[in-house]
Order: sequence, then structure tokens, then C-alpha cells
Amino acid sequence: MKFLSSALFSLFVVVVAAYSLSCFQVSEATQAVVLQFGKPVKTIREPGLYFKLPFVQNVVYFEKRLLEYDAAPRELITRDKQQLVVDNFSRWRIVDPLKFYQTVTTINGAQSRIDDIIYSNLREVVGRTSLTEVVSGDRVALLRGVTTGSNLKAEAYGVEVVDVRIKRADLPAKNEQNVFNRMRTEREQQAKKFRAEGEEEARKIRSQAEKERQVLVAEANREAQVLRGGAEAEATGIYAAAYNRDPEFYNFMRTLEAYRRTISDRTTLVLDPDTEFFSLLESSK
Amino acid sequence: MAGSFGNGAAKPPDPNRIIQEAFDSLGRRFPSGAFGPIAGAIAFALWMASGLYQVGPSEVGVVLRFGAVTQTTPPGLHWHLPWPIERVYKPAVTRVYKDEIGFRTIAVGPPARYRDVTEEARMLTADGNIVELDFIIQYRIKDPVNFLFQVRDPQETLRDSAESAMREVVGSTTIDEALTEGRLEIQTRAQALLQEILDSYKTGLQITTVKLQDVTPPGPVQDAFKDVINAEQDRERAINEAQGFANDIVPKARGTAAQLVNEAQGYAASVVKEAEGAAERFELVSDAYSKAPDVTRKRMYIETLEAILPGIDKFIIKGGTANDVLPLLELGPGSSRREVAE
Repeated sequence: MKFLSSALFSLFVVVVAAYSLSCFQVSEATQAVVLQFGKPVKTIREPGLYFKLPFVQNVVYFEKRLLEYDAAPRELITRDKQQLVVDNFSRWRIVDPLKFYQTVTTINGAQSRIDDIIYSNLREVVGRTSLTEVVSGDRVALLRGVTTGSNLKAEAYGVEVVDVRIKRADLPAKNEQNVFNRMRTEREQQAKKFRAEGEEEARKIRSQAEKERQVLVAEANREAQVLRGGAEAEATGIYAAAYNRDPEFYNFMRTLEAYRRTISDRTTLVLDPDTEFFSLLESSK
Repeated sequence: MAGSFGNGAAKPPDPNRIIQEAFDSLGRRFPSGAFGPIAGAIAFALWMASGLYQVGPSEVGVVLRFGAVTQTTPPGLHWHLPWPIERVYKPAVTRVYKDEIGFRTIAVGPPARYRDVTEEARMLTADGNIVELDFIIQYRIKDPVNFLFQVRDPQETLRDSAESAMREVVGSTTIDEALTEGRLEIQTRAQALLQEILDSYKTGLQITTVKLQDVTPPGPVQDAFKDVINAEQDRERAINEAQGFANDIVPKARGTAAQLVNEAQGYAASVVKEAEGAAERFELVSDAYSKAPDVTRKRMYIETLEAILPGIDKFIIKGGTANDVLPLLELGPGSSRREVAE
């Protein structure tokens, strides 16, 4: 019994010691290089449990996940000689940990190399492209060129540049001022146009209304004249038809009527005694 | 790596302590009794129990055996092989995270206070203008394994990608669209593009919302933009005023026209009726006259003179002498008319 428990203990100790000296884990997020007295002997990219020779070999771990790199904004010049402040970023990963370890060793070391590579590629590509194309053109195609170009050089460091993207592409401060001025004048002329259009439309509506008014009244006037004329013609016809029955009597009657109307109390009448009315006056003398 | 995503599992026992205990026991040259085996059994039981873990309601458990993913577990109590064989990560997958671009919330409030981050918000439009655009992104973890093991800094990757995607979309939009009716389309396109980028990086993130907040012209030109809106209002006002004027005068003119026509119709009726009356009267009189023309004629003549002569000044002057006498008659200035009856 004593012996058994001692043996179990010994076995346990041996297992623990063996594990901690000769086993190591590589997780999903990492990859590793096994060095034997500083000389790389094995590259491990799959996660799992691995063995090494105790004391003789040691393990260096590297990120397997996608890594970030955000460059500082820089002024680039486009094909049409416009200055553009470009802030780009990229995503990259370590694909060959051994090469990576031998050339740049650390992530910081790699980032400065990547910066150089991407910047030179980007400057070259932007230099071949116009401002409008950079801002609103097919950025994917533009940057695919940068990504491919950068990859060729990054390969030497065991690094794959997965994607290069332009985060910001802005105008330098002094150009911005010019853009603002242009925007302001553009808006001003638009505001003027709106106001003038309002005036235009208002004048059209007013004059149209005035015209309608004049036409309406004129047409009514015409109709009134026609109505009046028609009535007068009809009246004339009626008078003529009646008076034609006895024109002589009409003449007589109408003249008498005219006397009544025209001779008023302010009239002075100089009469000849020969007048029919006074004929008796004369003959009785 | 473990710290950032929370690892609530019990701490594994320290292996050095176990080894030390083992050596101590050996050093005591296997003391009498069952202390050794019991201690060993207790230590073993504790070690096995350290594999118990709880997955919270918003979490998912990702179990790694020797660093490789073996399974994911739903919320509840679970057990994994104890350290160093297996370990577990528990990212919160149902939680919706939020990120702000172009501004930062300083105080949630109320009243909420914000700070502008102009360099994030300011972007070029397709027509070469500059617009300031704030937006938020809401996202959650759709693939916990990718989220944990594909990208070192998913959050920063998300921010960078979002800025890039939004600039690309706004870069193909005009400023007027961005400020007015194009907003919805910008949101939709930016979300699709951002998701595409994130998927290509295998971030394991799902964008649930891209929502534009303030979209404004840059500060120095805001007044000019506001004036355009005022000008549009002015235009509408001028048109409305003119329309009001038209609405006032045209109906009145129609009234006037109707009035003119009605007056003419009244006149026409009265003229015709008068003519008819006069004609009828003449016919009646002339019928009577024709029965006794001479007498009637004389009567009418005399009656007329009777009617007109009484009120007026009369001079009866022998024929031929009138011209000599007339100047002597001081015809008053009131006498505007002179009539000479035959």
C-alpha cells in the first residue's frame, strides 16, 4: 500500500515534469518556431500540443491573426497635380514565421517595413490617378494594385499584406479654404436663382391674372354692345314698322311732341301773327 | 488574450505547488497512514473540478484543447478537461455593441453632450465638395471563433473599415444627395460595403446598423446653405402671394363681366319694350286719327300750343319786321334758346 502510493506519486511527478519541459501548446491565434540552440528547426502553424527536446530546444511564438497597421496621414500628389492628404491603413499577417523571425523579428519591426513598402506603392499609384478617381472612382481596383505591389515586396519578410485601404482622403487645409469659397459661391448663386425663379413665377401669375381680367371685361363689353345694338336694331324695326303705316301723321305727332319737350319756361318765342294759331287774331282786327 | 474576453472559470491549481507537495511527501519517507493517497485523491478531485465553468445567458463558450478549438457550448453549466489540457473563452455574442464615428458622446445625459471629431467627420463628395458626416455603427459577434482567433484587434479593424467604407460611399455621392434624400442609400451601401470588408478579414462581426447622425455642410459654409433653404421659401412665398393676387382679381373680373352683360341685357329689354309700347301707342292713335283726320289734327296742334305757350315769353311780331325789332328786345342771358315758330 505504501509502496503503491509512493509509486503513484513518483509517476505523477515524472509526468508533470516531462510535460512542462518537453510539451508546448500552440493556440489558434498563434504560430511558432522551434529553435535548437538558436537555430530554427521547425515551424508550427496548426494549433495543438507539440513536443520539443527539453533544454536543447526553445519555442518562439508569433501572432497568426490578422494584424493592423494604421499609417500616419501623408500628402500625396495626384496625376492632375492636386495635393491630397491620404490616411491609409492595412491589414496583414505573418505567413512565414521563420522568415519573419529572421528578417524583422517583431511586429513593430515589420510595421515600419510595411509602411515603407505601402507608402511607395501608394504614392506611385496615386500619382497615376486623378483626384476625382481617388475620391469617387473605383477604389477597390486602385488599391488592389497597391496591395498586389506591396505583397511582392512584403513576401521577403514572411508577411502577407491582405488589404490596403484608404481611410481618409482629404484636401490639405489651404485647399479646403478654396473649396469652401467655391461651395459658398455655388450656394449663393443657387439662392439667387431660387429667389429670381420665385419672382419670375410671381410675375407670370400676376400678369396672367391681369390679362384674364382684361379679357373677361373686354369680352363682356363686346357682348354688351352686341346686345345693346341688337335691341336697338329691333326697336328701330318696330318703330319703322309702326310708323310706316302713316308716316305723315307720325311726322305731325312727333313734331308736336318735340315742341312740348324742347320749349320750356326759359324759352322766348318770337311769333308771326300769320301763324295758323294766331290767324284768327289777325282777321278779327 | 484571456483577460480581454473574460474567463470566469475557476483558477487551475498551481502545478509547482503540487510538485512541491509531492517532494515533501517523499522527503518524509512515506509517512505512516493513508495521508499520502488521500491528499493525492483530494488534489486530483480539485484539479478535475477546476474544469467546471458557467456560460452566461449572453455568452457562448469556446473550448480549446491544446490550443485548438474543439467545440462551442451554449449558456449553462459545463465541464471541460482541466488545465492544461483544455481551456474556455466566453465572448458575449448576443450583446449589441456600438461605435461612434465623427463624434463622441461625452455624457449620456440627459441632456446628452457630444464632441465633434472633425477629422473623422469631414469627407469629400463626388462633386468635389466637403461634407461633415457623423454616424454610428451597431454590431455583434456572429462567429465567436473567428472573432477570437482571426483578427488581433477587431474593434480597431471595425473603426478603420467603417471610416474607409463610408468615405468610399460618400465619395460617389453628391453633396446635395448626402444632405437630403440620399441618406438612406448611403446607410445601406455603407453597411453592405463595411460588412463585405469585415467578412473578407473574417472578423466574425455582424453589422446590424449603420445610421447617419448629423450630416451638415462644413461650418464655414453653413450660412450659405441655410440661405439656399431660405431662398426656396422666398420663392414659394412670392408664388403664393401672386397666386393670392390672381385669386383676388380674376373672380372679381368675372363678376364685373357678368354685371356688364346683365346691364346690357336689361337695357336691350327696356329699349325693345319701349319701342313696342310706343309702336302700339302710335298704332292706336293713328287708327283713331284716320277716322277724323282734320279735326284731330287741329285739336292736337292747338292743345300743344296751349300746353307750351303759357309759361314762356312771347313776342308776336308782324312778318318781315322781325329782323329790325329783334336786337331791341333785351333777351336776358338766361334765355339760351330762341325758337321761331312758323
